[in-house]
Amino acid sequence: MTPALLVATALAGLAASLAGAVTPDRLRIRVSTSLTIGACGCALIAGINILHSGHPAVVHTTALMPLSGFSLALDRFGALFVVISAVVGICALVFRLGYIGHGLGSRTASCILPLFVTTLLLVPAASNVTTFLFLWELMAITSLLLVLTDHAHRGEVQVAAQWYAVMTQLGAAALILGLVLLATRTGSQSFAVIALRSAHLPTWVRSTAFVLALVGFGSKAGAVPLHVWLPRAHPEAPGPVSALMSAAMVNLGVYGIVRVGMGLLGGGPTWWWLLVMFLGALSAMFGSLHSATSRDLKRLLAYSTTDNVGLMLLGVGASGLFASTGHRALAVVALVAALLHVVFHAVFKGSLFLSASSVQQATGSTDLDGLGGLLQRMPVSGPIFLVGGLAIAALPPFCGFVSEWLLLQSMLHGLPSSDVAIAVAMPIGVGVLALTGGLTAFTFAKAIGIGLLGLPRTDGAERATEVRRPMWVGAGLLALLCLVFGVAPFLVIPAVVDAAGVVTRFHSAGALTHGWQIGLPGVPGMLAPGLLALGLLVCTGLVALARGLVRRSPVRLTEAWGCGRELQTARMEYTATSFGEPLTRVFEDVLNPSRDIDASHIAESRYYTEAAVIHTSLEDAFERHLYRPADRGFQRWGALARRVPNGSVHRYLAFGLVALIIVLVVLA
Amino acid sequence: MNSSWSYVSIAAVSLLQVMLVLLGGPLLLGLMRKVRCRMEGRVGPPIRQPLLDLRKLAGRERTRPEHTSWVFPLAPVVLVATTLVVAAIAPLLATNPAFGWSADLFAVVFLFLLGSVSLALGALDTGTAFGGMGASRAMTIGALAEPALLVAILALSVPAHSSNLPAIITRSLAHPAWLATPQRVLALVAFVIVIIAESGRLPVDNPSTHLELTMIHEAMVLEYAGPDLALVKLAESMRLVVLLTLLADLFIPWGIATAPGPSHLAVALVATVGKVALLGVALAAFEVTVAKLRLFRVPELLAGAFVLAILAVLSALVVP
Amino acid sequence: MNGSSYSSALTLAAGAVLVCAVAILWLASIRSVIKMVATQGIALGLVAVVLGVHLRDAGLLAAAAVVIAVKGVAIPLLLGRASGGDSGSRESRPLVNVPASLVASAALIVLAFVTGRSVARFVGTTAGALVPIGLATLLIGFFVLVARRRPTFQIVGLLMVDNGIALTAFLCTAGFPFLIELGVSFDVLLGVVVLMVLSQRLRIEFGDIDLDELRELHD
Repeated sequence: MTPALLVATALAGLAASLAGAVTPDRLRIRVSTSLTIGACGCALIAGINILHSGHPAVVHTTALMPLSGFSLALDRFGALFVVISAVVGICALVFRLGYIGHGLGSRTASCILPLFVTTLLLVPAASNVTTFLFLWELMAITSLLLVLTDHAHRGEVQVAAQWYAVMTQLGAAALILGLVLLATRTGSQSFAVIALRSAHLPTWVRSTAFVLALVGFGSKAGAVPLHVWLPRAHPEAPGPVSALMSAAMVNLGVYGIVRVGMGLLGGGPTWWWLLVMFLGALSAMFGSLHSATSRDLKRLLAYSTTDNVGLMLLGVGASGLFASTGHRALAVVALVAALLHVVFHAVFKGSLFLSASSVQQATGSTDLDGLGGLLQRMPVSGPIFLVGGLAIAALPPFCGFVSEWLLLQSMLHGLPSSDVAIAVAMPIGVGVLALTGGLTAFTFAKAIGIGLLGLPRTDGAERATEVRRPMWVGAGLLALLCLVFGVAPFLVIPAVVDAAGVVTRFHSAGALTHGWQIGLPGVPGMLAPGLLALGLLVCTGLVALARGLVRRSPVRLTEAWGCGRELQTARMEYTATSFGEPLTRVFEDVLNPSRDIDASHIAESRYYTEAAVIHTSLEDAFERHLYRPADRGFQRWGALARRVPNGSVHRYLAFGLVALIIVLVVLA
Repeated sequence: MNSSWSYVSIAAVSLLQVMLVLLGGPLLLGLMRKVRCRMEGRVGPPIRQPLLDLRKLAGRERTRPEHTSWVFPLAPVVLVATTLVVAAIAPLLATNPAFGWSADLFAVVFLFLLGSVSLALGALDTGTAFGGMGASRAMTIGALAEPALLVAILALSVPAHSSNLPAIITRSLAHPAWLATPQRVLALVAFVIVIIAESGRLPVDNPSTHLELTMIHEAMVLEYAGPDLALVKLAESMRLVVLLTLLADLFIPWGIATAPGPSHLAVALVATVGKVALLGVALAAFEVTVAKLRLFRVPELLAGAFVLAILAVLSALVVP
Repeated sequence: MNGSSYSSALTLAAGAVLVCAVAILWLASIRSVIKMVATQGIALGLVAVVLGVHLRDAGLLAAAAVVIAVKGVAIPLLLGRASGGDSGSRESRPLVNVPASLVASAALIVLAFVTGRSVARFVGTTAGALVPIGLATLLIGFFVLVARRRPTFQIVGLLMVDNGIALTAFLCTAGFPFLIELGVSFDVLLGVVVLMVLSQRLRIEFGDIDLDELRELHD
């Protein structure tokens, strides 16, 4: 039954795409979105089936790709990611039903969005190299086209899309090289066969394949230093698309690293996983710092995705490190923590991006310095955003707290260790987790406090009203999941443990959850998030009751304390830039903010300033020190190479012939 | 869970802890203020003055700025509620309060963080410059204190192989020699610095300042009045007393009740009150001798605490 | 069809393809070149027919019919009509003169046989042994693209490249599936039409011209 569901997913997706291309304007969005939701539903049921039963579902056909065959084999590990993509997909598509504008209603967008969603659902199921690469490239191209949907109206979209296209293709090139290397060396394209034979490959082949896969998947996941496309592409994409990209697509980068590193290559030497942990730590710190000092809401969320991907990689690296030094049970715990973070991140990041799009639709802008007072003007979307923000800051009683706790526990139990690498890496890992946790709390206190609370800072924010129902239903479903998973994580954890067990090929003896508590097998230490939530609720109720009993009179509305000023206006409020200023100053050396002041003086005297304009900007350090010099280098090289083609068609054709002859000689 | 503890005794322990924190917090603040005044050559208000202040505030009118949302009145409630939950489940008087098996040190940290974030949101809701300033500064300090705090917790948890509070305390009681190791001393210093930062005492923040531009915590609560302000002040004192009690129990665990029975609890009560009072007096004496740090020197202090905490963890490798 | 007559028929047809290719390199007049291309297309179709009869594959026979129709008849007709008003119908000064290009084609045939050997061994069948012929046709077609000046000759070169690929496909795997063969043929047809339109416009704009004189194509 499950293979049929997988086929149904693909067919429904194709049908939705076709429907998007041919149905007339009025029905187009509804028909194509409903069909795509159907595809997600089939995938969701298939995934849950497999997570329960454990038998992989196989679909194999040679009709589409004659040489290698189009083959899907969904095991528990892949099923986890399929379920995540399906849930996020359903909520984003429900959101889309109410979303107008941004070019998303056009024929092209309605045709391509279902294809994108279908590839998100099928990539974790691909089980040979060709199928995987085909679906991967299709996902990249469809997401690129979706990012471009509004390019006619806004120039920045084209720049963002260029960056995205280049980085995606660089990553894909590395990925193709790595996977093809593995396939040719083991003599087979099927993942199952590669997994069996990879242990006999020489070390350099395995390491090269791993590093190439890390580069390829890392760029898709948005890990530093290949993350520069994230903060450019996500803000420019339409709402549901950016939610899908951040909550479903970047997960596939992590999926790929775990699948190749642990599944296909069966783990490796310590230095692989130290590299992964290093990249994870760097991404986490860099992402959290930039999101803390960012003033555009969507850019903030994009950098926060880099931060969370860093945390996931930290967990994956710790897991691999433990496995390579022999602590297999602990490796499973660390991998469970990382995968749990993947699940929870998808839920709260999806909700946040959808809420941010709601805010954008209601106010016309995502600049935090221009928002404010939205909690009262958007009585449903406001609290949904609040829930998402509290969840991502890892605060109880929401889900982020559980995954953060589990990550900390997995690092804690790695010590004491006789292995120097572990003994040094774990405290640094905890320090990184702590710093990014603190910075994330800072960031979302800023985002919620400045965006939702206080007085509206512009007319757009003043005139905001609640958005259409499908939009807040979509975002609200994910926010509800944040709360449900935070209170009852035992709904998710067993499935994650099984998925981790499949890819590490180790099934631990003890269970991770006993009823309402989470405990680690074999060591003392437990968490009862449901209990904490209950306790918080009870105490809050008691305190509010006590306050109400103590003084019965109603609350008097007054003016806020202003130190003797006349009126309170929005100009006196703190903005996002000012909120982040102390932090910017503390991390000045890393962030390198630039500040320009243009002052104009009155005609009579140079000592009196008439007007002053201050420009402050924060540029991404990797862009400035890595990408721009590389870009300049390429341009210089290109200018040199431009002298060779002189316009003669025959010369160009001759190049082609010579190249073909060289290839043939080499092959012979 | 030790089966010799009956449900009644467990519930009694939690209730006693909550009462201790609710009453002891303001009394501790009063004691500290008295010590400061005496050292400065003044008589000072009586020790129970903070309790009288709370009663006065409770009887006053509640006010609210006009454009605030429901976050503003909810913030003090959440702040007090988080501290209450910690007081109920953390092993302050005994190693087995209600649900003590779930009292994880990391969970305590995140609960306190929830309280801080809610207060910051309440401050930002007022829409004033002071609210924003206080929230910005408080969250910056909180974010920078997190690494030191969590790594110091790591240093304490590693020898006990768990971050579960009763487990750590039980192990300290079983291996007293462990308490004099360099690892513990370094972790202790790091903890003290972080507690000063988290509870807003000198040299990080001056709780009795009247100049708005020097405020961190006070600037966040300028708009609260009446019972709301009482809740905020109560939360402040509760947080300090819970942190100091945890510090005492983690580093000087003798006296804590390990078995049920009124005599054990009485001993524990006396011991805890004594330890916390001593720590409070020491802290107050220290406060008299230092001046408030410039805001941008505070990160240096916290970075120093982080380095100490890392050294504490790494020294476990050298000195097993 | 028994074994030896099958293999000799196949060798004949495939050989005819290669001979046409070399002849195109030798001939100078447009009309004869187009006639050669037509012959080459028909020879290609014959290869497919022989294979289809031997393997009793109806799909292959259908593919053969398509090939003969498109490459043997339709495209040469189109080319002929396009260059009907072509006054200077001789390639006066090729880039590489005729003796040199014949020597080059010999070298390319040798290269094709050397590199095609491993493929022929891999495929194993009688048909597979003739794969180097397809490779040689491809290389010679490419060479025509490089070495001839006039646009019409370049279209012919492109056609030869495609014929070489199709021949290799037929010999290796008994052809592509019918659907793909149809698609490829229409591809080629479309490409030829486009190229013809372009060369017509070139002629209208600039008269009979050497492609190399259009140097605006560089940056």
